[in-house]
Amino acid sequence: MSPNAIEARALHKVFRTGFWMRPVEAVKGVDLTVKAGEIFGFIGPNGAGKTTTIKVLTGLVMPTSGEAWLNGLPVSDPSSRAKLGFLPEGTFFHDYLDAREFLDFHGALLGIPRDVRRERIPKLLERVGLAHAADRQIRRYSKGMRQRVGLAQALIGEPDIVILDEPMGGLDPLGRKDVRDLILSLRDEGKTVFFSSHILEDAEVICDQIALILSGEVRKQGYLEELLGQEVVGSELVVEAISESLYHELENRARRAVVQGSRFLFEFDGETDGEKALDRVRESGGRVRSFVPKRKSLEDLLLEGLAEEKKA
Amino acid sequence: MTSLRRIGVLALNTYREAVRDKLLYNLLLFAALMIASSILLAQMQIGKDERIYRDVGLGAIAFFGVLIAIFVGINLVYREISTKTVYTMLSKPVRRWEFLLGKYFGLLSLLAVEVALMSACFLGVLVWKGSEFSGGLVTAIAMIYLELALVTAIAMFFSSFTTPYLSAMFTVALWIVGHLLSDLRAFGRYTDIAGLRQMLEALYWTLPNLERLDFKSDASANVPISAARACMAAAYAGLYSLILMSGAVVLFQRRDFR
Repeated sequence: MSPNAIEARALHKVFRTGFWMRPVEAVKGVDLTVKAGEIFGFIGPNGAGKTTTIKVLTGLVMPTSGEAWLNGLPVSDPSSRAKLGFLPEGTFFHDYLDAREFLDFHGALLGIPRDVRRERIPKLLERVGLAHAADRQIRRYSKGMRQRVGLAQALIGEPDIVILDEPMGGLDPLGRKDVRDLILSLRDEGKTVFFSSHILEDAEVICDQIALILSGEVRKQGYLEELLGQEVVGSELVVEAISESLYHELENRARRAVVQGSRFLFEFDGETDGEKALDRVRESGGRVRSFVPKRKSLEDLLLEGLAEEKKA
Repeated sequence: MTSLRRIGVLALNTYREAVRDKLLYNLLLFAALMIASSILLAQMQIGKDERIYRDVGLGAIAFFGVLIAIFVGINLVYREISTKTVYTMLSKPVRRWEFLLGKYFGLLSLLAVEVALMSACFLGVLVWKGSEFSGGLVTAIAMIYLELALVTAIAMFFSSFTTPYLSAMFTVALWIVGHLLSDLRAFGRYTDIAGLRQMLEALYWTLPNLERLDFKSDASANVPISAARACMAAAYAGLYSLILMSGAVVLFQRRDFR
């Protein structure tokens, strides 16, 4: 049986901070199992422990206890990173280099022969949309361009596992779409993609599996269908030209009602309430602009997790 | 891929980063100006022209070399960590000791080029003024280079676990003390304060004794330098640098990049 692409067992990390070396537990017993060829989303709010866990997986931080493996090799062994591509959070690169030199340097560090690098770099730059700026110093790049050159750097060694820490952070909608498309294309090539994000919509669109981390602990992990289910948990109705009395009737039934100029938006719990409201609007001659049954979202899952944490 | 190749790749990139640093060129310009100023200084003295060319030339090579080793060197290591560029390197199959040695050898290459450039400037002054470029001067310059290698190892040692400001402070302090160890030891021999003599004696034997590598006065005064003395000094610098770099590796190995 082939090993999991990424595995972590009971990972703990305690940092010592400040003058008195006060212990801060950043990661508290994280278990992860990521199968090869999947897109795995590591979801959680800022400060939840996503980046620390990723740094343990990439050898930048030593775990206080617990173990982790990449392709079956312990992360303490540098050769576990031979087939790893990593994009750190933020875009901190050698900005005195141009994109071509930067990729050449990282390719050389991986031991890729010069002629292969020469062939691979233009293709990679084309793939991330930077062919036109290949000879420009990275310090002259925009944030989006830096993110792209970072992605190219992560892919220079044709890795089996790609770990991306907040790859959509700070990108405009077009940039986010490009990154999503790139992640999907990597899965099509058989690569395992593990990415962290606090932008839940992106994760929901592209992930096979997710893990939800809160305060250093993985609270939920599994396939999206299992975690979110197919059940409709609510509905959203947008209508126009309804009477004031009908508005108040629907407002009383809805979880939330919002007036948007001439339009009225109502959110209902479950599917039935929404359908009944829809019938009432039609009967009264009002205009229905949209009716969307809503399934449980990652946002709901996160909010549930946060609520449980608050209770505990 | 072998460790040697990875170290080479890292050294080349370090060298490339340093030669794109404007601070380096400013320091080199000042060094060249100082070496050239020996011509003016010589005109103010009578009959000691050659000695002044040599003293000022060797002094400038040593002083600006140390400035470059400390300020460019410390920055190069610390910047990799503070700007987080180290993340993309150490997340590859690069061992931490390879990273540190890559930085160290990159800096040594830079210092070699920088000492060569300043020496060429020094040679230019000597040739222009018809003064002899003796073997002693070559030995003195080689020892300056070894001193720079040792100072770089001190800087790397401190910057492997502390901030650039503290690293620079500690390195400058050790550089100054390293040139005063004989005086401190002599002072200890004449003192009556209990324990001070033993402490200064211990410091004399443990801190880097940079006076051992100082051949400038002898070379300037055309005093013959024995091969045995030069070899001993070179071995001392090599061994001390090795110990410091080993310490830096041990400390860097345990470091978390947060």
